[in-house]
Amino acid sequence: MIEIVNLSKHYGRHHAVDEISFEVQRGDIVGFLGPNGAGKTTTLRMLTGYLPPTSGAARIAGLDIFRESLEVRKKIGYMPENVPLYVEMRVKEYLRFRGALRGLSGTRLRTRLGEVMETCGLSHVRRKMIKTLSKGYRQRVGLADALIHEPELLILDEPTNGLDPNQIRAIRKLIQDLGKEHTILLSTHILSEVEMTCNKVVIIDEGKVRAADSPSNLVSSMRRAGRVTMELKIAPEVGESILPTIEHVTKVTSELLQDGWTRFSVFVAPNTDTRIRLAALAAEKGWPLRSLSRRNANLEEVFVELTRKD
Amino acid sequence: MRTFRILFFKELKAYFLSPFGWLICAFAALMQGLLLSTAMKGFLDTPRTESLVFATFQAPTFWFYFLFLFPVLTMRLFSEESRSGTLEGLLTAPVKTWHVVLSKFCAAYATFLILLIPAFVHFKLFTLLTEVPPPFNTGELVGVFVILALMGALFTAFGCLASCFTSSQIIAGIVCIGILLIHFLLGLVTFFYGDKIPAASFFSFISSSEHLATYSRGLIDSRPLVYYLVMTGFILFLTHHLLDYRRWKK
Repeated sequence: MIEIVNLSKHYGRHHAVDEISFEVQRGDIVGFLGPNGAGKTTTLRMLTGYLPPTSGAARIAGLDIFRESLEVRKKIGYMPENVPLYVEMRVKEYLRFRGALRGLSGTRLRTRLGEVMETCGLSHVRRKMIKTLSKGYRQRVGLADALIHEPELLILDEPTNGLDPNQIRAIRKLIQDLGKEHTILLSTHILSEVEMTCNKVVIIDEGKVRAADSPSNLVSSMRRAGRVTMELKIAPEVGESILPTIEHVTKVTSELLQDGWTRFSVFVAPNTDTRIRLAALAAEKGWPLRSLSRRNANLEEVFVELTRKD
Repeated sequence: MRTFRILFFKELKAYFLSPFGWLICAFAALMQGLLLSTAMKGFLDTPRTESLVFATFQAPTFWFYFLFLFPVLTMRLFSEESRSGTLEGLLTAPVKTWHVVLSKFCAAYATFLILLIPAFVHFKLFTLLTEVPPPFNTGELVGVFVILALMGALFTAFGCLASCFTSSQIIAGIVCIGILLIHFLLGLVTFFYGDKIPAASFFSFISSSEHLATYSRGLIDSRPLVYYLVMTGFILFLTHHLLDYRRWKK
C-alpha cells in the first residue's frame, strides 16, 4: 500500500527526515512512533502531498506521491495533528463541504454523510457550530472528514492527542473497527495504544528508522531479559557476594523487606534465562525462596532503548 | 471547475453568512452616500462644468475609503487558513493550488463588486427622486463603474498576495494597504513633480487617479484596461507561487 524509499526532507542543514525506507501492506494498522521532533509529522505531510520531499520517493497504491499527487490524495484520508477545522461552520455543513471537495455528490454524498456521522458518533451534534464543540468531538469531526470519501488509506497524526481516557478508548475502538476495512498509518506517543491496536510498528528517531516490525517481534527480539527478581530469606550481603558468581549474572542489588525477607534484583545478560540456575543455587544452599520472576520487556522499553540519547 | 465552484461558494458564504460582509457593505454605502451628497452640495454652491459622476469620484476622500476596502476584504483569506492550520487540510484534499488561489480571489472580488451596487443605486435614485434632469450621462456612469471594477481586480489581487506572505491577519492588512498606497502615490508623482521628469509617462500610465478621471468623463481608454487585467493576472500568478513556495520552504 505504501512503499517509501530513501525519503528525505531537509530544512537547510537540518535533516528532519533522513533517508527513511519502509513498507506498509494493504490491511495493516501501522503505528508510527518516535519522540517529539523525530520527523513523524514531516513524513506524514510528505505522504499526503502537503510537503514536497527533498529527495527519495514514495508510492501509495502504486502511485508516486509527487508526480501523481492529486490521484494519491484521492486515495488518502488524512487527519492532521491538532485537527484544524473551519470552526465557524456547522458539523454537517463542514463534512458536506469536505465530501464535495473529494468528489462526492448527490445521493452518494448524502449517504456517506449519514454513515460517517453515525460511525463517529456525531449525529446528535450535526447542527452545532464546530467552535462550540469539545476537543473530543472536534477529533471525531476530523476523523469523519478523513473517512467521508472511503479512502483506501487512513493517515492519522496523533488521533488521541489531548483526549480524556474515555474518549481515547472510544477513538481506539473506532480505529480497530476501521482497521478491518482500511489500511491505517497512525502516529502517536502512547505506546499502550500501539500494542493494542497495531499489527506493525515503525519507530523513527532523528529522522531515521530505528525499527520496523510487529510489536511482539520487537519485544521478543529486544528481550533484554533485563532483570530477574527473587525473594530469599538470607542476609543481603550473603546474596550479593554469592549470586554474581553464577554465569550470565552481571549485577545484583538487594533490598531488605519489612518481614525479614530480602528482595534481590539480578541483572542478567541479554537473551539468557538464569532462573533455573538461580533456583538450583537456592536449593543447593538451602535458602528459603518464595518468589522468582522475570519481568518481560514491553514496547515502552523497546522504544526507550531505541530512542534514548545517552 | 467543480472544485473551483465548491471553494468559491464556501468563501463567498464566509463573507455573507457573518456580520462582516454586511458591515463592510453598510460602510461602503455610507461613504458613497457622503461623497455623493458632498458633490451635490458643491453643485449647489458653484456652477460647474463637470458632471456629477466626475465630481463625486474626484473628491480626495474617495481614495481614503476605497483603498481601505481591500485590506479588510482580503487580509483574512490565506493568513487565517495558515494560522489555524486549515490550509493543510485544504491542500491535502484533491485540490490544485490554483483552485484555492482563484476561488479566494474571485470570492473577494465578487464581494467587492457587490459593494459597488449601493453607489450605482445612489445615482439611479438621484434621477428618480429629483425632478431635475440628471447632471451626468450614461457613458460617464458606465465608465466609472468599469474603471472601479478594473482597479478592484488588481487591488484585490494585491490583497491576496499580501495575505499569502504571513499568517497574521493584521500584518497582511498592513502590507496590503502599504502596497496600495505606494501604487497610488506612484500615480501622483507627475501631479507633484510635473510631467517634465524622466519616466513621467510611466507614472501617468500606472496612475489610478488619472485612470479614474479619464473613465469618469466617459472615455473608455484601452490602456488602463490592459494594464489592470495583465497586472491582476501577474499578481495572482505570484500569489500562486508564493503559496507553494511557503509550503516548500517550511
